[in-house]
Amino acid sequence: MIQADLNVILPEIVLALYAMGALLFGVYTGKDRLTGPLIWLTAGVMAVLAAWIGIGGEGTREAFGGMFHDDGFSRFAKVTILLAGAAVLVMGQDFMAKRDMMRFEYPLLVALSVIGMMVMVSAGDLMALYMGLELQSLSLYVVAAMRRDSARSTEAGLKYFVLGALSSGLLLYGASLTYGFAGTTLFSGIIDAAGEGQAPLGLLFGLIFVMAGLAFKVSAVPFHMWTPDVYEGAPTPVTAFFATAPKVAAMGLLARVLHDAFGGVNADWSQVLAVLSLLSMFLGAVAAIGQTNIKRLMAYSSIAHMGYALMGLAAGTVLGVQAMLVYMAIYVTMNVGTFAFILSMERDGQPVTDIAALNQYARAEPGRALAMLVLLFSLAGVPPLVGFFGKFYVLRAAYDAGLVWLAVAGVVASVIGAFYYLRIVYYMYFGEEGEALDRSRASVAGVLLMASAVVMVVGVVNLFGIETAARAAAAALVN
Amino acid sequence: MFIENGFLLVIAALPFVGALIPGLMIRAGRTACASFTAIPTAFALVLLAMLAPEVMQGNVIRYEVEWLPQLGLSAAFFLDGLGLLFAGMILGVGLLITLYARFYLSGEDPMGQFYTYLLLFQGAMLGIVISDNILLLLIFWELTSLSSFLLIGYWKHLPEGRQGARMALAVTGAGGLAMIGGMLILGQIVGSYNLTDILTEGEAIRASEWYLPALVLILLGAFTKSAQFPFHFWLPHAMAAPTPVSAYLHSATMVKAGVFLMARMWPALAGTDAWFYLVATTGLITMVLGALIALFKDDLKALLAFSTVSHLGLLTMLLGFGTKLAAVVAVFHIINHLTFKAALFMTAGIVDHETHTRDIKRLGGLRHLMPVTFLVGTVAALSMAGIPLFNGFLSKEMMLEEAAHTTWGNSPYAVGALATLGALLSVAYSFRFIAHVFLGPVRDDYPAKPHDPPFGMWAAPALLAACVVIIGILPAAVVGPLVAVAGGAVIGGGEMPYYSLKIWHGITPALFMSVIAVAGGLVLLAMHRPLDRVWNAVPRPEAKTIFDALIARVAGASRGITESMHNGAISRYLAIFFVTTLIVGYAAWAGGGLTEATRAPLPVPPAVAIGWVLLIVAVISVTITHRRRFLSLVIIGVVGLMLSAGFVYLSAPDLALTQISVETVTIMLLLLALHFLPKETPVESGAALRLRDGAIAAASGLGVAALAYTFMLRDVDTISDFHLANSYEGGGGTNVVNVILVDFRGYDTYGEIIVLGIAGLVIFALMETLLNGPVARRLRETVYEPDRSRDRHPLMMVVATRVMMPIAVMVGIYIFLRGHNEPGGGFVAGLVISIALLMQYMASGFAWTQARQRFEYHGLIGFGVIIAGLTGAGAMLAGKPFLTSAFDYFHFPPIEEFELATAMAFDLGVFLVVFGAVMLMLYSLSRLARIAGETVNREPMDYDPTDRVENRKEA
Repeated sequence: MIQADLNVILPEIVLALYAMGALLFGVYTGKDRLTGPLIWLTAGVMAVLAAWIGIGGEGTREAFGGMFHDDGFSRFAKVTILLAGAAVLVMGQDFMAKRDMMRFEYPLLVALSVIGMMVMVSAGDLMALYMGLELQSLSLYVVAAMRRDSARSTEAGLKYFVLGALSSGLLLYGASLTYGFAGTTLFSGIIDAAGEGQAPLGLLFGLIFVMAGLAFKVSAVPFHMWTPDVYEGAPTPVTAFFATAPKVAAMGLLARVLHDAFGGVNADWSQVLAVLSLLSMFLGAVAAIGQTNIKRLMAYSSIAHMGYALMGLAAGTVLGVQAMLVYMAIYVTMNVGTFAFILSMERDGQPVTDIAALNQYARAEPGRALAMLVLLFSLAGVPPLVGFFGKFYVLRAAYDAGLVWLAVAGVVASVIGAFYYLRIVYYMYFGEEGEALDRSRASVAGVLLMASAVVMVVGVVNLFGIETAARAAAAALVN
Repeated sequence: MFIENGFLLVIAALPFVGALIPGLMIRAGRTACASFTAIPTAFALVLLAMLAPEVMQGNVIRYEVEWLPQLGLSAAFFLDGLGLLFAGMILGVGLLITLYARFYLSGEDPMGQFYTYLLLFQGAMLGIVISDNILLLLIFWELTSLSSFLLIGYWKHLPEGRQGARMALAVTGAGGLAMIGGMLILGQIVGSYNLTDILTEGEAIRASEWYLPALVLILLGAFTKSAQFPFHFWLPHAMAAPTPVSAYLHSATMVKAGVFLMARMWPALAGTDAWFYLVATTGLITMVLGALIALFKDDLKALLAFSTVSHLGLLTMLLGFGTKLAAVVAVFHIINHLTFKAALFMTAGIVDHETHTRDIKRLGGLRHLMPVTFLVGTVAALSMAGIPLFNGFLSKEMMLEEAAHTTWGNSPYAVGALATLGALLSVAYSFRFIAHVFLGPVRDDYPAKPHDPPFGMWAAPALLAACVVIIGILPAAVVGPLVAVAGGAVIGGGEMPYYSLKIWHGITPALFMSVIAVAGGLVLLAMHRPLDRVWNAVPRPEAKTIFDALIARVAGASRGITESMHNGAISRYLAIFFVTTLIVGYAAWAGGGLTEATRAPLPVPPAVAIGWVLLIVAVISVTITHRRRFLSLVIIGVVGLMLSAGFVYLSAPDLALTQISVETVTIMLLLLALHFLPKETPVESGAALRLRDGAIAAASGLGVAALAYTFMLRDVDTISDFHLANSYEGGGGTNVVNVILVDFRGYDTYGEIIVLGIAGLVIFALMETLLNGPVARRLRETVYEPDRSRDRHPLMMVVATRVMMPIAVMVGIYIFLRGHNEPGGGFVAGLVISIALLMQYMASGFAWTQARQRFEYHGLIGFGVIIAGLTGAGAMLAGKPFLTSAFDYFHFPPIEEFELATAMAFDLGVFLVVFGAVMLMLYSLSRLARIAGETVNREPMDYDPTDRVENRKEA
């Protein structure tokens, strides 16, 4: 009996065993000298798992009495998470090696947080949800503060921790209210207790607080305050990680809770999500305009992007979830590329994050500038690049679900938001003469930058078929 | 009638495919690049010509390829009259520009790159006009923004080029994004994203409640692209681009995209008041304003740019009128404007190329030096002025006729008068172009010596000028059918309005207006010099400075928002977090859904009330005195005690027991730790901030209390009953709490003890690292106050704790053993024995106690976890799931019958871990103390009580 259960969570177990084994191995052997190989090995393990889940996974299976689901939805999210995690790990290596940050715990902490994320998107129970969430968060708190000698990094980690703990507390409060009223922590039981139409007040409070806790994780306004500080303070490879996989996981988890546990009362949460989405889109767009630090700018950009993804979710339909998944997959790809670029921004060997440093970049490195241009346009959602399709998907989903005002507001916000992406392009191509950045060298990050730019262009052909996969995934989640 | 034809796809793809070639053969020379640009363009033009006869018969050619069907996107193209007109214009002028640019650009400019961009742009533009799917149209729309960005910024060394490119991109790109929204709404109303469907659903669209937002969003896209007021400012600044680019993008094609879109959407959107007032008004304002500014521009290209703005306004106005005739006139004027404006731009380019200046004030008299250029330029300019025999006259007459019949608001004359004013200004700047560039005396201070360029350069404008004349004289024969079929496409089928393309229409209001315009224009030109002085003296809003100021203002505002919200202070973040949660909570509360209370509140006996008040007073005191740490710790102890009392009162002895022992242990550990920390918390916030935080805290607390109270008044299903019913039968214990811990939720407990063990180990490890670092040095420098009591291990306490030790251990064991059926258990037992040992540490000193320690605390933790784990695994050996408990009764005389449960072994594990972890924490703290120079007593007492203080002082 337990054998069958374990089979379902085999990928998670494999990764967990790997992480713990490698940790012990690292402690007793080479320690930090092993970091380089460990990064590659961890990324390799995650890529293999992604392939395994993506190709081998089929149908819908449950484990531990419904506490853990293996279905199309979770597989889609897991593949995205694993691939993003692997890519970000590998591309940060040069940066970290140069700055004496090669701690062997880093890849393993990332692996552990990825396990947490995998559990999150598969959760079928409040307990599993919380376990996954905390495993993820705790690992992230640590990596955020990984540069112990940097006041900024430590502060970022501490802030993230304090606020994160608070949000976890809120989520737990919501979860216990939910449990108190539903009498069960299983999503399948909660959905019965919640019924159709309007949820009883106790469950409604539970729902609201759980949502508030999760909104923190996806950094939706007004639970977003940690994002700019942490993005700026954390070492850039860590920031890149923050911007990608955890966002997918938190979105996935949110979708799971809302549809699996509260699917019958979607009028209750749809409104809340719509407001969160609206605020996020606008704050992200407006606040980014004044930024001069590219990492902070990307923080606001991610807030705005989460607003769009939430818009898909707010629709509360199959199309909405599909749109959210497509959006997140595209968003992650774009961010991997963008951060690959940011990682290589340096002058005299020191990392630079000031946007003005990009002045006239196109003259020095036309190829990389072009790739960045493509990525930025895609981030802005300019057709025909892939970013546009993501945006259009969520807009359509919102429109179909009757949230026309939200869709129109989203368009307006994207117009505002386009400004700051274009500003970077402007600096790169037509900026004033200034001190130039160092010439880039061949690196993994460079390859990923180019690859993701190519994806933005070539993906136009058929989006690599992810929309069909996303559709199947969404259908598995929404009944 | 629809006809399928794959040629359409080929036409759309040709420029993109062709774009690869010039870029790859930069080294092959200018002519080769130009040729390979011309070939795909010409080929596409031929294909178009092959399709033209069908279109001219009123058929529509269509071709569709599936793309992303789920999104509603398909590669669907269609070609009707309007599409044919524009496609022909784009390809034809493209061919001419290719030729012209071959001669215009110098050898140093990277040719291949230029032609690649040009073909990309051409492809995008072509895509716009033959797209059937509006999403596809959007894609091409933004592609034109992107490729034009590259073209405008082609001369990267010019600062104006950069500024221009940026502004053009910002304005048109943003407009395009806004259009996405409009297209989305249109598609959703109609249920299809294909224009062929949308254009037939005009009534449904206009009746929709979302018509206005859709209209505004689409118009935003069209207005920005076609440089309509108030977005007109980007176009002149984009003129820093090479002249072939200006001629192609900014006269013939890209800026017409907005007009094209309005024409395309005409059947779907036009005809409402909103359409009329938005579109016609904007067009009218743009027309007059553009012409006025053009008159006073000294830069040749800027003059042409603003004249283009003005003519685009004219087209917009015509489309905005919403009448069929006006729409047809607009189509006619599009053709005419294309011919004369492209010719003019190229002429200006030639002048610039030859004289190395575009400043009108430095030109004049070129008539004799460049006769061919003069001829071409004059023909085109006369057409622009609307002089008879040239094509500009025809469409201008028809426009004035329409304007004269249009009523704006309540005024029947406003439109006519303003249109005449526009025409008048247009005459003035057209003549100024001729007079100030070509006429007048020859000057001797041209920056370069001008002469007519090679044939290749003037061939293209000359050809266009020829068209100007031919159309001007024989309009009906030359373009009549094209206007008919394109106009028919704009108005969406149905009956064509009556119009005739001829020079003489008889004596009509339009003729008078024309005469006034020409006469007034000439007067204005004569007065240009004084007027120019006035114009320059009068301060007027400069769109570019407004744009820049606006951007700066927005950036400033954005920074303001960000800084006030994200100032880095975590207290502010927390405040935002809590306030939001409160608001959301309130919204949920107010949303209803609360059922009637089903329980009556319990009575409150006086003792409970006193306890409750004590609890509250204690909590408030902690908040007030939290800076004085020892004091608040003591008060926290009171809170804990009251809680325990509460548990006792509510018949939960287990919880009370656990609470009180945990309370004791934590307070003791905290006391020990506090010894090494500052005794006071520094003040960090002002009174106002504290007030704010206090208010938020109070509101949050009240909210939670209200929630709890509300829920306590209502019955809910709990799982308590299940536990009560199954505790004895399933777990073999009557103490439900203990059975839950070791059986029902054994997994949890197992996890928890591991966590507890890890916590103990981590504290130890951290302390170890800490004491090897700089902290140790600081600790060693600790200076104790001189007046400390020497009697730190009072005799009475030493004796009392040593006597109590065995008793306390007995109690612990007793509690452990009875745990399964009565309040108690391994957890509490571990704590009780820990307290007993803690007392030894405090009373007799660290060293004394340490010397008597038999076991390593680390080991205890490990053993505990192993024992608990083995117990669980034992169940698996018996074929049961992990941690299933078993129990049985035994009877060994003379002892009475007793029960043994495997749960007890598990509980032993719990006991060991708790005990080990607590002691390990204590041990870690004790190490701190010793490094800080705490003396270690080897004797049972610190000093000899007979050794009196006075004696020592003397000694």
